[in-house]
Amino acid sequence: MTRRAAFGLIAGTALLALLGACAAVSPTASVPPKHPEELGPGRTDCAECHSDLSTGALKPYASFKHSSVFVREHGLYAAQGQNLCASCHGPSFCQECHGRKDELKPNVRMGDRPDRMLPHRGDYIVQHRIDGRLDPGSCFRCHGNKNDARCRACHK
Amino acid sequence: MGLTGAGAFPRPWAIRACVAVSLLVSAAWPAAAPAADVTLSSKTYLLYSRNDVTGGAKEKFLPLYEYLAADARDLGGMPLSFHFYGWGRQDLADDSGRGPRSGDIGSAFLLYRHPTGNAEARLGRFFLAEGTAAETLDGAFVKMRTPVGLGVSLFGGIPVEQSISGTQTGDSVYGGRLFFAAPGFAEIGATYLREKGSFAGDDREVVGGDIWLRPGLPIELIGRAAYNLSTKALASERYVLRITYIPRIDIMAGYEAYRYRDLFQTALNPAFLGPAIDNDDKVRTMFVVVDLEVMKGLTLEGAVKSIRHDRIDPGDASRGEIGVRYAYNDRKDTAGLSAAVVTADRDDNEYTEYRAFATFSPAAWRFALDALTHRYKTDLLATGSRDEYQVVASAGWQALSNLKVSGDLTYTRSPRLKEDYAALVKASLDLGAATGGKK
Repeated sequence: MTRRAAFGLIAGTALLALLGACAAVSPTASVPPKHPEELGPGRTDCAECHSDLSTGALKPYASFKHSSVFVREHGLYAAQGQNLCASCHGPSFCQECHGRKDELKPNVRMGDRPDRMLPHRGDYIVQHRIDGRLDPGSCFRCHGNKNDARCRACHK
Repeated sequence: MGLTGAGAFPRPWAIRACVAVSLLVSAAWPAAAPAADVTLSSKTYLLYSRNDVTGGAKEKFLPLYEYLAADARDLGGMPLSFHFYGWGRQDLADDSGRGPRSGDIGSAFLLYRHPTGNAEARLGRFFLAEGTAAETLDGAFVKMRTPVGLGVSLFGGIPVEQSISGTQTGDSVYGGRLFFAAPGFAEIGATYLREKGSFAGDDREVVGGDIWLRPGLPIELIGRAAYNLSTKALASERYVLRITYIPRIDIMAGYEAYRYRDLFQTALNPAFLGPAIDNDDKVRTMFVVVDLEVMKGLTLEGAVKSIRHDRIDPGDASRGEIGVRYAYNDRKDTAGLSAAVVTADRDDNEYTEYRAFATFSPAAWRFALDALTHRYKTDLLATGSRDEYQVVASAGWQALSNLKVSGDLTYTRSPRLKEDYAALVKASLDLGAATGGKK
C-alpha cells in the first residue's frame, strides 16, 4: 500500500468517525421534492412569496431570483446542492443544456422560447472560432472532457 | 441548423446495466404502482433542413427525434423515485453521412431523498454537480449533512464519456466533498476527484474548494477553485461578488483565471490539446453584470467582460453588451432587444451582435419571433461574407391540456452558409399526475 493510499484510508476512516460522532443526519426537514403550488410563467423570483432561508439550499430565497446575473452564475449555486432547484425543475432540466452528446442545440429544440438564455444561437460554428480562441475555458466546461462528436469533423 | 454528428454508444453494456438495475430495483416494490406519482414527458421533433455550405455541397436533413423523460415518485410510499431521460434519432432521408440513427440515455437512476437533512442517494446513470465535480457517471452518489452543519458526499462509478480522438477515457471515477454550512451565512466545501485513465499520460486528479459567503450585508461572495494534482498547479479559479437582496437591483463583479496546461490536462477533445493551443498560455477575465428592473416587467441588462492572455497570440479582448427586456401579458410573454460588441487586439476576434425577439400568447396559442445578426470585422472563413443573419418564427397551439403542437421556421445566412432553410414540427405530450411548480 502506498503512502498516499494509506493516508486516504486513514483520512476516510477519521472522516466517517467524525460524522458518526455528529449523530448522523441533521433533523432539519428536507426541502420538499415538489413546490406545493404551480408557479407562474416568466422568470421566477422566490422572494415574491418567501422571505426566509431555504431549508434545502440553506441560503436566502432571494439568492435564487432568476435574474440574468443568477442565470449566468447558476452553476456556482448548483454545485453546492440542487435540492431547491429540483423543487421546481424536473430531474432532466439540467440536461436540456448540459447534455452529453445531444445533436439538437437547445435553442433549436426551444424555438418558442427566445426569452430563455440558451447557448449557441445562430450559426455558432462561425462564432466559436473567436470564443474558442479568446476564452477556451468557457467551452471546456461542457466540451472538454465530454463527448462532442461534432468537434471530430475538424479537430482531429 | 444545430445538427451535430453522432458517435456510437459509449459502453453499451454499461447503459444496459444501469437501466436494468434501475428498472429491476423499481420493480422490486410491488406496492409502488398505486402510490407512485408517475409523469411522462414526450417531445417529438421532425426537422427538415436544407443548407448550402459555401464552397461545399448542398445538404438535406430529415431527422425524427424523440426525447423522453419519465419520473416515478413515491415508490412504495417511500421517498424513493426513478428518473429517466433519453433521446433517439431516426433519419427519414439521410444526406448527412452521419448514420441513419443515433441516441443516448442521459440519465436513468433511482433517487432516495431522506426526509431530513437533505440527505440523498442515487444509483444508476446521473448528472452530478458537486463542488468542483461536474460529471455524468454510471454509479452511486450519497450525500448527508449532520446537525452541526458538517456534511459529506461520496460518489463513484464509471465515467460516461466518449473519446473523439485516440485518447482513452477514464476507467473509473470516484471522489467526494466535505462541506460545512451555516444556514444563511456560509457554505464552504472541499472536493476530491480522481478519474483513472490516460489524460496526457496521467490520471485526472483534482482537489477543489468552493465557498458561498453572505457576511451580513446585501452581498454574496461565491467562489470555486480547482487544483490539478497531476500537474501540481492551480488549474482554475472563479470568484464572484454579487450585490443582491436589494429590490430591483442585481449586480455582480467577478474574476476568473486558468492556465491551459493545468486546466486542459484532462481534456479528451483535441481542440484543447497541443498543438491546437499554446499550453503555456494563461487567461484572466474580469466581468461585471448588471440587472436592473426599472419598472414592473421592464428590465435593463448590461455586461462587460475583459479577457487578458499571457500570450500575444491570441491577444486580449473585451466584450460589452446591453439589453432591455419587457415581460407582459401576466408575464406569459417577453420582448427583448440587445446589442453586443467585441473589441480585440486581433481584427479576426472582433464582431458586433444585435438581437430582437418577442412572444405573443393569446389563449391557447403562442407565437414567437427571434432575429439575430452578427457582423464580423474580417472575412473569417475567406468566403467573401462577413455577415450572419438568422430569423426564427414559431407558432404553437395547446391542442389539449397535455398536448401541444408547434412549428418553427428558420432562415440562416452566414459566412459558412450561403443559406439555410429549416422547418421543425414539434409535438409535446405530458402525461401523469400534476407536478406542482414544475418548470
